[in-house]
Amino acid sequence: MLATPAQLAHTTDLNLVIRYVLAGLGHGIHAGRERGAGVEFSEYRAYAPGDEWRRVDWKLLARADRYFVREAERDSHVAVWLWLDASASMAEPSRSVAGLDKLQYARAVLACIAAIAQRQGDAFGLIVCGGGRVKFTPAARGPRQMQRILAQLSRTEAQGSLPPAETLRASLHFARSPSLVFAVSDYLDWPSAQSEALLRLRHMRHDVRALCLQTDAECDAGFADGSAWRDPEAGKGLFRFESQAYLKNRADHFAGMAADCRRSDIRTLDARIEQSLQTVLRAWLRQAGRA
Amino acid sequence: MNSLWWLALAVLLLPVWWHRQKRERTNAQPLATARFLPRADPQQQRVWRWTDRVLLLMRCLLLTALIALLADLTLPWRGDTVLVTPGTDAEWLERHVAETGFSGAARLTTADPLGWLAVHEREWKAGARLLVAGNVSMPAVRPQFCHKVELRTLASPLPKSEHRVAIVSKRTAQWRALFAALDGYVVTDTPDAKSELIIWDVPDAPPAGMRAPLWWVGDATAFPELRGAASAEGMRYADSARGRLWSAAPAADAGAARSMFETWQRLHYAPVPYLAPSQLLAASPGQAAPVAGALRDILMMVLAALFALERILAHASRR
Repeated sequence: MLATPAQLAHTTDLNLVIRYVLAGLGHGIHAGRERGAGVEFSEYRAYAPGDEWRRVDWKLLARADRYFVREAERDSHVAVWLWLDASASMAEPSRSVAGLDKLQYARAVLACIAAIAQRQGDAFGLIVCGGGRVKFTPAARGPRQMQRILAQLSRTEAQGSLPPAETLRASLHFARSPSLVFAVSDYLDWPSAQSEALLRLRHMRHDVRALCLQTDAECDAGFADGSAWRDPEAGKGLFRFESQAYLKNRADHFAGMAADCRRSDIRTLDARIEQSLQTVLRAWLRQAGRA
Repeated sequence: MNSLWWLALAVLLLPVWWHRQKRERTNAQPLATARFLPRADPQQQRVWRWTDRVLLLMRCLLLTALIALLADLTLPWRGDTVLVTPGTDAEWLERHVAETGFSGAARLTTADPLGWLAVHEREWKAGARLLVAGNVSMPAVRPQFCHKVELRTLASPLPKSEHRVAIVSKRTAQWRALFAALDGYVVTDTPDAKSELIIWDVPDAPPAGMRAPLWWVGDATAFPELRGAASAEGMRYADSARGRLWSAAPAADAGAARSMFETWQRLHYAPVPYLAPSQLLAASPGQAAPVAGALRDILMMVLAALFALERILAHASRR
């Protein structure tokens, strides 16, 4: 099991992460509307790598000597959108676990969500905000979409800043039907173009869930007083660490963010990347499941 | 004037400035939550650091060598010295060296000690004394040096010289009489390449290619150049491809012979230099030392070597 984030830091294979993390999690994020009414058979489709073996029609295999998968008409009307912040600040490493950073953690979390959505038969898409641009993968179903999303996630690197507000606004046309938005970020820019977009989505009656990634050192002000740091997104300029001011500013910032989210009914979960992935995922899904 | 070039050493600041780099503060690492921290002044450590130190050294040396060359660098390194003309009597020299207290001094042999000293005087240290001994000719003006110079002179015997005179004449006896009383003159009947004077007193033309510094022509039919030539005191003279031509006739009396001989000697032989009297030349400190250029060759070589090295290093550092 990938019990500790230290082990997570050592793998880049998101499939592996998904298999381990989801082993004890079950399938559901939300109650599908068609559940219990019986899974209506719709069509056969050629087997594609990644399909579950139990969905292969063995009788048809015996007849046709080919693998076919039973596609069932059990599509939910809920599309799942995975929102990944890939700005430079997401490269913040864990100061206690070597090789682990926020982006890696966010990738693993979103890969697990995608896997769950796929098992559930939901359509899922990906939005990556980073390098001043929005990378948009349209929502779809099935194992191929899963591979596409995983490849996209693996390719993502933390760089640049968040895209400008107008770019984001232009990208929001994707969400017409009611959908579930899982947004993973560090939310250090708030208010920002990203926060604006999330609030807007919420006002469009989408269910927005925010996972705020932090590190132990950030939360506990675990840096030497007087040490010099620079902002990965702001460019030039030096900052001197003072724990008192730091803790106060940080608390004010996240208090403001929490207030905004509460006002707009966006559920947020703070997670430290040193925490076990399963714990965090379970807590986040439980929050989601209650919706 | 030359020493003003040393002010150009300020140019050395240029390569130093070019090679200097202020060290950037590099130990600031990115921190995502740095925005919650107060902004600090960008701290650059005030540490001077030089890149390409060897190249910098080469460039500084190159400039220094160039300035030293322009400033005519001379390092005074000579102490008490005795300057001797060649061929000076050794016994006389030792006596005078002992008299003047130059026993342990270095010795230099040079034909023109005062002229050589005037050029190289900057090579002597400030308190050095000099003794110039031997057959020193007297300069036109009294020489002035920054150092105290003792001058001891001794006329050396004139070297035995031989002058060849060729006489081609029917009046040979009369011409020979002119040289009979003189010492050091070899009179022959056949001119050769060494002849300094050819007396030609026959109507026939001399063989082609025969040359001499001076011809005395008794019969001008062989030398058409003399016919319309200028004359002075009844004597015609002209320049020809063979040498200078004088019209001459055997001297009638002793006075005419002497006057002819003296004219020849005055116009064709350099005067024997006059011996300078022994004396003490006091130091005249205000005397500006002349351009020496003693280290010029060495500095030029150093400059060329440094330039080559500098180019090589600059090329290598760009790679």
